[in-house]
Amino acid sequence: MRASSGEKVFYAVNYFVLSVAGLLCFLPLIHLFATSFSDPGMIMAGRVSLWPVQWNWDSYQALFVGTRIVDAFGNSIVITLVGVLCSMTASIAVAYPLSKDYFYCRRFLSLAIIFTMIFSGGLIPNYLLVKSLGLVNSYWALWLPGLISTYNMWVVKTFFQNIPRELEDAARIDGCGELRLIMRIVLPVSLPMLVAISLFYGVAYWNNFFNVLIYINDTSKYNLAVLVQQMIFSASNPQLAIDSDLQQAITPEGVKAAGVLVMVFPVLIVYPFVQKHFVKGVMIGSLKG
Amino acid sequence: MGTSASRRFKQNVPLLWMFIPGAIFYLLFKYTPMAGLVIAFKDYNLHDGIVRSPWVGLDNFRLIFSNPLTTDIILNTLWLSLLRLVVGFPFPILLALLLNEVRKTWFKRSIQTMVFLPHFFSWVIVGGIVLTLFSQEAGSLNLLLERWFGYTHPFMYEVPSWVTIYLGSGIWKEAGFSAIIYLAALAAIDPVLYEAAAIDGASKWRQIWHITLPGVSTVVAMMLILSMGSIMEVSFDQIYILGNPVVSSISEVISTWVYQLGLQGAQFSLTTAMGLFESLVGLLLILTANQIARRMGKELW
Repeated sequence: MRASSGEKVFYAVNYFVLSVAGLLCFLPLIHLFATSFSDPGMIMAGRVSLWPVQWNWDSYQALFVGTRIVDAFGNSIVITLVGVLCSMTASIAVAYPLSKDYFYCRRFLSLAIIFTMIFSGGLIPNYLLVKSLGLVNSYWALWLPGLISTYNMWVVKTFFQNIPRELEDAARIDGCGELRLIMRIVLPVSLPMLVAISLFYGVAYWNNFFNVLIYINDTSKYNLAVLVQQMIFSASNPQLAIDSDLQQAITPEGVKAAGVLVMVFPVLIVYPFVQKHFVKGVMIGSLKG
Repeated sequence: MGTSASRRFKQNVPLLWMFIPGAIFYLLFKYTPMAGLVIAFKDYNLHDGIVRSPWVGLDNFRLIFSNPLTTDIILNTLWLSLLRLVVGFPFPILLALLLNEVRKTWFKRSIQTMVFLPHFFSWVIVGGIVLTLFSQEAGSLNLLLERWFGYTHPFMYEVPSWVTIYLGSGIWKEAGFSAIIYLAALAAIDPVLYEAAAIDGASKWRQIWHITLPGVSTVVAMMLILSMGSIMEVSFDQIYILGNPVVSSISEVISTWVYQLGLQGAQFSLTTAMGLFESLVGLLLILTANQIARRMGKELW
């Protein structure tokens, strides 16, 4: 089938618009990359666009030596890894019973859980609760109140529900207990979905800004999001504990760009590996459970 | 072997054990704060605690609705999120429609990879990008303006340009990811329809008009109704990070106000009253949305 001239124009315009949209999403990062590796004079003269001008590491050196970003990076890793582990375990443990039609009070419990998605106590009662539990300034204030994202848990539940019953029945006849059934059959066949949900939890923990802002007072416990935010948006330029030579060699813009990139980097690393999974995750979640 | 009831009980024992931690989580961290909402009707102080603080009836609500400062904040919240919904809504649909017309798989996949990406960035990162581009002193755009025309523009400090940046950054971050749901609806359209139309000599435009658009219209309507439920929701992170005192006449919203006055100013009762108002309106909107969806035969739960 040959394309008419009208269609040719349509395709050309379409490819062009999409390319622009795609580049718009990506180019700002390239620009930050270029800024973070460029010479301060060139940055302030507005001569840095998409490739570093007069390559150097000074911005990164100032960032790593002069701020607590290395600590914050470690904190973010701990928050994310422990958080994902706890959240996944808890989500699976809630989703599995809810996915069984013989589970007692399934309908009532499902409604009670969904209700928490559409109505909540809000910030202040939550804060007072966390405070009265003595969790302030501890990472448990991030892990416990955020243990289960009902939306994510519901995706897991819907997926479990759609596992063919024959698979489980066969295992049961072979004398498989519930725990072994979950470990040997349910979890392995759900692996792609579990990877997607882990990614959603992981990104949420990695990007967590608000909860760290309100619950963590000790600056040495800050994660990257809060540290980078304070560095970028402080009214004065970032206070860097560096010697005057290096101070001369950098500009705040370069250091800020470097900070943003340090925070983005792990996301960019993980993203390509899980990209194909999350589309599926979103699709399951959008179906009525 | 017992009856089916006792068999069911046996099957339930491991499930109940599994469920206990989750039940504790929901009771402690979801339902207890709801009970904590009573302080909206009290004059809460740390010394007396939630139970023994004195009741004040609706005083906190009267204070909120009689003070132009707080009513402005409610209006800002509504205004910003309505703008976000109206301006932002078409973008994912348009993106999905365009992507759907791409024949080359590698091209489609690379564009998708790029437009989904910003969804995974924290607002801190998006804020960093915004500042790099638009800040007055050293933003790339102003550096260029300075170089070419010899002047700079305070993009972050004027209400119209700030609102544009607010809307633009939201679209930039979420439009691609929100397109997934429409892409799925488009993929579900039977290709036979297109083949039949092509044989009948229907042009590209007519195919889009008569097959593609009707194919996604239900999902579009659903998403529109769903978004109604979030009219009271403005992302705290986005406003807190992009906002500044100069544009506070528009950028002060409920969540930032509760944070500042409640957590930093310890005005717990007043801000809880505001939070309760916000939650109740949100609940009402969601229930209404579900009713409308039910009329369309697609209830949400």
